[in-house]
Amino acid sequence: MKKIILLSLIFFTLIADSCKKTLDVNSPRVVNETNYWNTLEDARAALMGVYGLTRAALADNNGHWLYGDVRMGNFESPIRQDLKAIIRNDLNASYPVVNQLSNWRRFYAIVNSANIFLERIAEVKAKDLRYTSNNMTVDVAQVRFLRAFAYFYMARIWGDVPLILTSRDGTFENRARSDQNAVLAYAQSEMEAAAAALPYLYSNQDLQQPGLYYGQSRAFWSGSLVTKLGAYAMLCHVAAWQGKYIDVIRYSKFVLTNYNVFGNLSYTSTPALCSSTGLFYANPNSVHDNQLFGFSFTWNNQDASFSGNIESLVLASPVVNKNIPDIYVPKDSILSIFKEPNDSRFNIDTTGTVHADAISGNKVGYFTNFLGKYPIFAKINVQLGGNGDGTFRLFSSTILLTRLEDVTLLQAEAYAVLGETALATTDLNTVRQIRYNVDQQGLTNQNATDYNAYSLAGSGPLLEAIFRERQKELMGEGQHWYDKVRYEKIKQSNPQFLQLINSGGIFWPISRDLLAQNPLLTQNSYWK
Amino acid sequence: MRIIAIITFLGVLCTTTYSFGNAAMYARVSNPTSIKGGLKHKKSVRVGQDTTRKAADTAAVGIPPRKSPIATRLVSKTDSLGVEKLSRAPWVSLQQYLKGEAAGVYVNEPTSEPGTIQNMFIHGTSQPLLSAREAYQTQPLVVLDGVPLVAEHPYAFDIQQYKYNRIGPDINTLTNINMANIESVEVLKGLNATAIYGPKGANGVIVLTSKGAGTIRRITFDSYAGVVSPNAVTTINGRFENDFRKQFYNKYTSTGSFSNNDTYPLFLSDSLNNAFYGPSNWTNLYYNTSTVYSVNASISGGDERANFSFQIGDTKMGGVADNTNLNRYNARFLLNMKPLNWFTFSAMVTANYELRDRNKNVRDRLAQVNYIPDLSTPIAPEESKYRSYLAQFDKGFDKNKENLVTGYIKALIELGKFRFVSTFGVDYNEGYRDIFYPRTLLQNTNYASDYFGYNQRITIDNVATYDYDLNANNKFHFTLGNQFQYDFYRYSYDYAYKGSTDFIKINLLNSDPNKSNYLTSQVFQSQLIYKFLDKTKNNQISFFGKADYSLKEKYNFSLLLRADGSSNQQPTDRWFYSPVLSAGWDIKKEDFLKDSKSISALNLHGSVGRMGRYENFDNYGQGPQYTAFIGFTGNLITPGYNGIATLSRPYSAGYVPYNLKWAYTDQANLGIDGEFLNKRLFLSLEGYYKHDKNMLLGVPSAAEYGYTSVIRNGMAIRNTGIDATITGVILPSDSKVSWTSSLNMNFNHNTLTALPGGLNQLVVGNGSKLLKVGESVDSYWLLTNQGIYNSDAEVPTVAGKKMTYNGIIMKTGDPRWLDVNGDNQITDADRTLKGHALPTVSGGWSNDFSYKKWTLGLNFYYNIGRQLLNQDMANRFDFYNREGLNDISSVKEVTFWEKRGDYSKYPIYNPSSAVAPYQVNQDLFLENASFVKLRTLSLGYDLTSQMKKKHPNIRKFYIYGSVSNVFTLTKYTGQDPELADYTGYDTGYGMQFPKTYIIGVKADF
Repeated sequence: MKKIILLSLIFFTLIADSCKKTLDVNSPRVVNETNYWNTLEDARAALMGVYGLTRAALADNNGHWLYGDVRMGNFESPIRQDLKAIIRNDLNASYPVVNQLSNWRRFYAIVNSANIFLERIAEVKAKDLRYTSNNMTVDVAQVRFLRAFAYFYMARIWGDVPLILTSRDGTFENRARSDQNAVLAYAQSEMEAAAAALPYLYSNQDLQQPGLYYGQSRAFWSGSLVTKLGAYAMLCHVAAWQGKYIDVIRYSKFVLTNYNVFGNLSYTSTPALCSSTGLFYANPNSVHDNQLFGFSFTWNNQDASFSGNIESLVLASPVVNKNIPDIYVPKDSILSIFKEPNDSRFNIDTTGTVHADAISGNKVGYFTNFLGKYPIFAKINVQLGGNGDGTFRLFSSTILLTRLEDVTLLQAEAYAVLGETALATTDLNTVRQIRYNVDQQGLTNQNATDYNAYSLAGSGPLLEAIFRERQKELMGEGQHWYDKVRYEKIKQSNPQFLQLINSGGIFWPISRDLLAQNPLLTQNSYWK
Repeated sequence: MRIIAIITFLGVLCTTTYSFGNAAMYARVSNPTSIKGGLKHKKSVRVGQDTTRKAADTAAVGIPPRKSPIATRLVSKTDSLGVEKLSRAPWVSLQQYLKGEAAGVYVNEPTSEPGTIQNMFIHGTSQPLLSAREAYQTQPLVVLDGVPLVAEHPYAFDIQQYKYNRIGPDINTLTNINMANIESVEVLKGLNATAIYGPKGANGVIVLTSKGAGTIRRITFDSYAGVVSPNAVTTINGRFENDFRKQFYNKYTSTGSFSNNDTYPLFLSDSLNNAFYGPSNWTNLYYNTSTVYSVNASISGGDERANFSFQIGDTKMGGVADNTNLNRYNARFLLNMKPLNWFTFSAMVTANYELRDRNKNVRDRLAQVNYIPDLSTPIAPEESKYRSYLAQFDKGFDKNKENLVTGYIKALIELGKFRFVSTFGVDYNEGYRDIFYPRTLLQNTNYASDYFGYNQRITIDNVATYDYDLNANNKFHFTLGNQFQYDFYRYSYDYAYKGSTDFIKINLLNSDPNKSNYLTSQVFQSQLIYKFLDKTKNNQISFFGKADYSLKEKYNFSLLLRADGSSNQQPTDRWFYSPVLSAGWDIKKEDFLKDSKSISALNLHGSVGRMGRYENFDNYGQGPQYTAFIGFTGNLITPGYNGIATLSRPYSAGYVPYNLKWAYTDQANLGIDGEFLNKRLFLSLEGYYKHDKNMLLGVPSAAEYGYTSVIRNGMAIRNTGIDATITGVILPSDSKVSWTSSLNMNFNHNTLTALPGGLNQLVVGNGSKLLKVGESVDSYWLLTNQGIYNSDAEVPTVAGKKMTYNGIIMKTGDPRWLDVNGDNQITDADRTLKGHALPTVSGGWSNDFSYKKWTLGLNFYYNIGRQLLNQDMANRFDFYNREGLNDISSVKEVTFWEKRGDYSKYPIYNPSSAVAPYQVNQDLFLENASFVKLRTLSLGYDLTSQMKKKHPNIRKFYIYGSVSNVFTLTKYTGQDPELADYTGYDTGYGMQFPKTYIIGVKADF
């Protein structure tokens, strides 16, 4: 009898043990808390996750361009009703894209992933000796910057947004909207703190980031991560949006004095700007420092995408095999925007011949098919790996948030607002020097100093000229709407737009889905 | 295919080497289902002469399974045909066989395309049906000879931008049932019968029992062949469409365009273009008469110590359009051995090899390709243009095949009253899909893809039983069982774009290991080759004990206790314990009925219990987690950032917290079965209460923490209803003409009773569906349409403000939507829940007549109280918005040129209005989809006696003919009220139900 009891005890222990083993299955599809935040690789995956989520937030439904370029912008839409609604600022219209763009959830995914990173990264530091404190400092700075960037982006689109700085994992609590000024002030101070800790370049023996960053080369990281200069460049935007033009100059000066000293930047020529393997192209084997702050879709990493880029909106026949573009700049608008002569981006002679064509010929410009029904805006045109033949609409251009020309023009704007006309003119001419440098036939002038400099007679009042220059230079880069708002705020001359500013109509409505979830939220007054 | 060859070889070997004995006893391991049955239900209700026929699988067992009334229905049609009658219908899937045959089983067949996915719902749905994910979680468990079958797991949808079809061959895995082999089909609905199958059977269980081997040498042959012929359709051309659209322009524009930027589609603007304005005769190529056939042969024999059965068959079901069809080859081999008096051993393997030719829908192709080319020019309705389009497919291929293997090894030890059955069962199915689309199909980009995936379930099942008869009046039966189940799902999938040539149709790699280009692709760029590998597995362990007690054979009681552990539950809540209590009362045995002549049987039975609901997804068991997903709208497959894989929280899929618990179902049922009027009337009534509780739901919340939703326990859905079956022998079989009529009916009422966290209502499915406590989960959330505003002045004005729709002021030509809450704003608050996507009443009505040796059968199928949203029509009227969208929803198929629906029903709104006047979610497009169909009409003649004169060996010889889908009576104006999936949106993609004419023969030697 004892034997039987003993044997059955052993038997049941075995069964119980095998049950436990059988029922402990680690999912091959997700990683749970036990298996994460342990190693250097986990830190890297989490950091890249924050970047990836930021890119996703900007690319989702082509939001970056629909917010920045399409809304009351230069573009018209021939057939897409949802885009027409955005163009005419009819943001309550009942279209899925419009509703999804009014939802900020994907920006809060950036914030939450950053919050989790900042709360948990110390665990990796404690567990993995390979994870150095310098590595951690640089990682933390990047993550803080990206979180601040997300708040800056949201504050520009929705105004007041809830400011949430902890992950509150599992105990999520609804929050009301914080004042946008507080959010922007927070973003500015965070970015400044992050900028101080960021290196000029990665894997480049920078004092603040010695050695190879995560074992990868300088070219590998170039253009993909936020650098010190990129952070200051974005700070110019943050300060300008708040109207703190003194700060703008503080930040822009930092960028413009260091860009070719500690950084490796240069002004981009028009051909390089419009080339399919130029400024907007990323390749892990070469450096792209001129992508001052951006998010790359790298062809060689299989990041190329059918959507999430300006090309999927603007390119059409004859550039790619799509009959009608989603958006295009009408001929009249092109002629009125690019009306100054000697512009390498677009120039037309008195016979109506366009000398800068984005696709054909060697005189590269912004547009092609100008004489067709729909001029095609092909400034940014990275099909496949930059060598597409137009038959397959897969694109890999970088989402570029800022570049040297942008910073220069922001500084010009700041000087102009502060009344430093001479300094503003110098900055404006720095950009004009590389753009207004072609002759009547579109051929580039031999002498670099030979260009059409700013003059009141040729370009109108300085401030207008600077903003018009921004409109031209940054077309298709998701900047126009914000420029327009700043311009109208400075000028105070357009009563309709001022009404929009004062009533909150410059912001997007908050998605009905969000309002339904969180009773503490209130709709922007203009959209009620 | 190989396994079929092996089985065939084995079968032939047995056939040729075995001498056929003729002993009375034979060995066979009984199906564990027979042990697991439940309460005694000795006198199964049977109709016709053969009332004594016993289910073969119960021969060796003490307690036969309690056949539920439905199961009885299924096995007891006239003349012991039962399943045999089903086997004569030209169907291929189990769902098709069950449609309208059993009260309480609703079968959704959204297209007639052979081999496609169909869904079954037993006693309504326990989930809000939004996607394939929920449909999967509501499917009943199918058990073939004690082996629980595994279904295609929907996890692969995660990488799919467009989720119309699952990647891979997408073949309905329940096409593996060859009805000619099946002895009985039982539909188990209540916990009294399903509890034994555990949490995976919480949605009901369908038990299939194959024919066994016999001791008498027996050869059967049956076959049918026939044609499928399409119903006539009306076609339209560009002129018709142009005229249709012009009325909108005439009414709302003076210049013929809504704005300066309007572009009228090119294919309609050129009236001289013969491709669109010419004859619309594409139907000659699209619809086609096709063939169906089936050939089955079986041989069985042996002696009391060892016997076998071997069967092979080939069934082809042709589709009526687009050259679709499904071809199934199957083989089955069964071997029973009884080496010792107390030991029996049994092994079975059945294998199916299926080939499917799919449709050539543009939408499905583009969804597969995951790339939308320019869609501004649709397929032309003119025959020669359409032919040249179809010819492009000949330059490529789309091969879909599936191997399905089910097998078991069982051992039975019998020592007096003690029995022990151990079963090792395997169900495995693997699918392949190889595609090559040439450049001409995709604007100069070719596409190649390969898929291989498998689903596998291994079951180890041990059951011990002991009979204990205290005395003649008190009998006990004890059962102890345990079960291990290992499920594993895996696929590997890749696709590539832009091969350098159309002549190399596969991803050919450089094979010289000494060269630097080793293993790089010869024709595809490495950046354009996308590769995927995914797998998921889960294990389940169960223990149960059951005690049955019978008092005087009149009162029967059964108590079952279970413990189920699942690896998909969190470690802290891995096990679920549940009881089920059943009771039965055989009233006929009571004194007051014993002598009653008019009541020949009367049985009351009921049960109450609880059962866990199996969680099929492995992520919920992991708690807070991290995924590699960083995709966005339009690109779900972003591999990483800067070439490095990322891990972040599942922001899109929803936050998974700790402490998620098992979902479970509380069920009760009470039923009565009876035979009355001298066995002329059979009645079965069962009321049920099924309350699925504590189910997981992604609650949209925590958006300010980045999440789309937070997964929480707490959703509860209740289904209550009645199953009724009435069979009347109107003219008994001993008269010259006999007529038996049988009606089965299910009435189901679905209610959402709770949402997580005590919420009262919740919007899910991207804002398209409202879940509201107290309402049905299959209701639509619609605006109420009351006409049109013919002028701006008609738009109601309150306090100086015009009525708005989501903030947009209503204007001339906008729909007059009902302002439910009276705030002069039309918003989501003015949507109300209406209609049902699943029928409230459904069932079938069969009539069997016989005259001498003729038999005539009529089978009707009906749905009442089901509504559909006619999305097809909504799309047609919403042309203005859809023309501009170059996305998957704006695809026009060739069937765009078919006239469906009633155009005059809909007002002419201003199509350019921003209020989306033709949005589908309004009751303008809600239609009554109730119907009655004559599903099959069959005529047969028994030639046995004539044939016997010539060949005395012939035991049976029966010839028959039948027509399927004879007619439909419905008010629905769209294509066919059945042709919509479980969501209830008729997208127009359903392929019409054709008339199928077959003639066949069944012979038994």
